[in-house]
Amino acid sequence: MKLLIIEDEQALNASMVAYLQQGGYTCDTALNYHDGSRMLADQHYTCVLVDLTLPGGNGLDLVRVLKKNNPDTGIIIISAKNALDDKITGLELGADDYLTKPFHLSELNARLRSVIRRRNFNGQKVIRVGNLEVFPESAEALVQGRKLTLTKKEYDLLLYFVTNKNRVLTKDSIAEHLWGDHIESLDSLDFVYTHIKNLRRKLVEAGSEDPITTVYGMGYKFSY
Amino acid sequence: MRILTKTSLYYLLVSVIVFLLGGLSFYKILQTEIYDEVDDQLFTDKENIIEYIRSHDELPNVTSGISEAIIVRETSAHAGALEALSDTLIFSTYDEEYVPFRKLTFTTYQNGKPFEYTVLKSLMDFEDLFESTMLAMAWIFVLLLIGLAGVNYFINKYNWRNFYDTLERAKRYSLTQRKPLLLKPTDTQEFQELNEVLQAMTGKIHNDYLNLKEFTENASHEIQTPLAIVSSKLELFMQSDILTQAQASMLEEMHASINRLSRLNRSLILLTRIENREFSENEVIPLHELLQEQLDQLHEMMLMHDIQVEIEAMQPVFVEMNTGLCEILISNLLLNAIRHNSAGGIIRISLKADELCIKNSGEPLQEEPVTLFERFRSGNKLSGSMGIGLALVSKISELYQLTPTYTYEEGLHVLRLKFQKNIS
Repeated sequence: MKLLIIEDEQALNASMVAYLQQGGYTCDTALNYHDGSRMLADQHYTCVLVDLTLPGGNGLDLVRVLKKNNPDTGIIIISAKNALDDKITGLELGADDYLTKPFHLSELNARLRSVIRRRNFNGQKVIRVGNLEVFPESAEALVQGRKLTLTKKEYDLLLYFVTNKNRVLTKDSIAEHLWGDHIESLDSLDFVYTHIKNLRRKLVEAGSEDPITTVYGMGYKFSY
Repeated sequence: MRILTKTSLYYLLVSVIVFLLGGLSFYKILQTEIYDEVDDQLFTDKENIIEYIRSHDELPNVTSGISEAIIVRETSAHAGALEALSDTLIFSTYDEEYVPFRKLTFTTYQNGKPFEYTVLKSLMDFEDLFESTMLAMAWIFVLLLIGLAGVNYFINKYNWRNFYDTLERAKRYSLTQRKPLLLKPTDTQEFQELNEVLQAMTGKIHNDYLNLKEFTENASHEIQTPLAIVSSKLELFMQSDILTQAQASMLEEMHASINRLSRLNRSLILLTRIENREFSENEVIPLHELLQEQLDQLHEMMLMHDIQVEIEAMQPVFVEMNTGLCEILISNLLLNAIRHNSAGGIIRISLKADELCIKNSGEPLQEEPVTLFERFRSGNKLSGSMGIGLALVSKISELYQLTPTYTYEEGLHVLRLKFQKNIS
């Protein structure tokens, strides 16, 4: 799967490329409006990550053009502006998602997966990791063909882990993924712990090996 | 005291003094004139009597003359006064009171015999005249006084109207309105100068305010990108397999701090945007549904803390607000009630047509309740809050003219929101 990342901050651009490449994506990068516009015209991408404030133009124009020429390409807007108007305009123009800087790379990855999944009707409907199967459409998970009884949060957590498998996920990023950024409380970290504990127990009881490990107190890793 | 009242009072005071002094001197002058006149008449009588005696060589008939009474009495050569003027009171049987008289006593000779004449002139007529004149004067004075004071008041009022207009506009002026202070031009030089000075001053303050705000906005926005870079690099760093325990915990602490900073920055941007009135799209929101939604979302958090929720009232209430802001408002109020609760405590919620009331158990405040809605006020540093939640509540409330109040009643923190613009 081929991605184009249009972001003028070299360092941030490189971070995204590094994280996403590990997930098996091929990434092209553009550092300004004109490069981005040219590359979009030349090639076909599965998904495009675009910053709104670019040297040489507004990212919203790129979204507009892309939507007209390649309607099946997924679009995620990345912006520091967090202006409601931009968000609404962006989504109205056909962007699939909107992320505000700063964001967690794991969150970006999860959103990207979700966008690709939603757009790719004929593609992968199940995510398989060992004897674990996750069905995003029906929000179900099976272990060795047996359905897991998960709460909504536990399912979200599992999907987040599976999407970012073999990566260290910090407690903060998990908390924000599950509860959004209105929960600015240390308590949410305790919830993360509780939910992970329950998820692990359910997975193990269903006959899976415990796939979640604690990494030096830094965070958690779903390894397979 | 209003300046109009003040000038009018001074004006009245001075007028009363001037009128009193004027009245007094008028009285004195009039009195002197009357005495002069009466005395003249008495002396005329005297001349007539002496003339009569000399030409007729007999005493005149006592009733002939201008004066009211002439008394003649034989006297010894030495006892009688040559000539004396004085005031006297004579009892009038008709009026049953003492009547003031002016009397002239003189001695004249007839056939070498001394006679003492006393010529009396009643002052009654003059006194009456005097009184009516004074009364008329007094009336004129009073009317003049009222008239002048009134005219003075209205002229002043008319002259000061521009000043009051300026004052009223200056009072209503608010920096956050983003409108310059507009004042009516006036032809009074001082007021025009005042207007110009005020306009220049507020213009300057407004500019400074805008610069400061722009700086804050830019700073907040510009901080986002470096934060994103640091955050992403840390996350990549964490994926490394060769980290030691110590390095990992350092990374974790850095990452947590960066997160905290990001959230803080986001909240500050949100506050600025509320101040900038950027959330103009309002909808009619069913507050009871939104409240229930938020309660459901926070359900597990309350379970963790062993907090009981009691719904005292949940009436259907519709408010016209921006949906996002309304959610932030409600979730911050609820989060606040959870965060500052004691373990095993309660939250009582009552939503009525005119107010939303959220009560929660917890230790009494250490600080003044007034500071509660300020930024970076958190009662308890350990709670992990940044003290921005209630500042957001206060800003959003201000935007929609809701009035948040805080009280501590029977061991419960009580936060109330009064609705003004309530549709339903």
